[in-house]
Amino acid sequence: MELQRSLADYQRNDIAIFAISYDAVGVLAQFAARHGISYPLLSDTGSRVITALGLLNEQVFEHHAFYGVARQEHHWGVPYPGAFLLDAQGVVTQKRFQSSYRERETGVALLEEGFHLASTARGPWASAAGPGVAIRAYLDADAYRVYQRLRLSVELTVEPGLHVYGRPIPDGYVPFDVEVAPVTGLIVGALEGPRPRPFRVEGLDEEFAVYTGRARFSLPLVFTDKAGDLVVRVAGRGQVCSARDCLPPITVEVELPLAQRNHVDSDR
Amino acid sequence: MAIEHTSRQFPVIDFTSIGPRVDEQFPDVILPDQHGVVTDLHAARAGRRALVVFYRSARW
Repeated sequence: MELQRSLADYQRNDIAIFAISYDAVGVLAQFAARHGISYPLLSDTGSRVITALGLLNEQVFEHHAFYGVARQEHHWGVPYPGAFLLDAQGVVTQKRFQSSYRERETGVALLEEGFHLASTARGPWASAAGPGVAIRAYLDADAYRVYQRLRLSVELTVEPGLHVYGRPIPDGYVPFDVEVAPVTGLIVGALEGPRPRPFRVEGLDEEFAVYTGRARFSLPLVFTDKAGDLVVRVAGRGQVCSARDCLPPITVEVELPLAQRNHVDSDR
Repeated sequence: MAIEHTSRQFPVIDFTSIGPRVDEQFPDVILPDQHGVVTDLHAARAGRRALVVFYRSARW
């Protein structure tokens, strides 16, 4: 499992990992041996704990219908996929759950977005520059699995004395945005990032919001189809301005390689 | 908060009141691990922070 790759980061930060499923001990033993899993995989055969905790996924057959797959009886008993973050006293500080039984977050995302700690288990990264700006993009894994949520991070760096427009933005100006070139089955989520700061241009009546220095954005990506090994093409588009002038809008592009991996023990 | 962005028509579930709640003690969970060793989650946690992941299966 992908979580094992992040284990060193969790251990360094003294965070214990537990994973719970309805699999029997023997199944978990094989899985752990095959993938070198060293954190506890807890066996909740019969989904007793899953059910007692109220996490039994009661939508799984509706989801089958939604996905157009034949009903699989042995899927009954799975929990909603997700994770709890506990503090040192064992109190829940966050719940991060997905509605679809097919989705899951990476260990890197849980570490960075959940615990707000830096991950060393990064995926490929690439950078490119244009006049006054540079972007550096990276994925939180070097491979995708169908329905696993990956996070694309994009760092925007603006040269001192310059700024890039964000929203809200008056007509005629181009706000910073990130686009991912279409790939069959790829769902790109909404761009998340810091709030740009208000900015007034002398002599102009309009209110602007701008990014200066460095700003980090994030985009969730979910592949819903096997599209083979591929290249994720990321374009940062925006308008760079000084206190007096604006350059025409520019687009800065990078490419990130991504391999396709199959889910464990199944070839879907 | 996790971002919900699955296909637009997919029914989205509000997990606030499903399962253990934020700011509550995570319940006691005692289950065997992959070695067959019965594990008390809070004891095994040993005063550390923890990530408890629920996933569908090691088989599919």
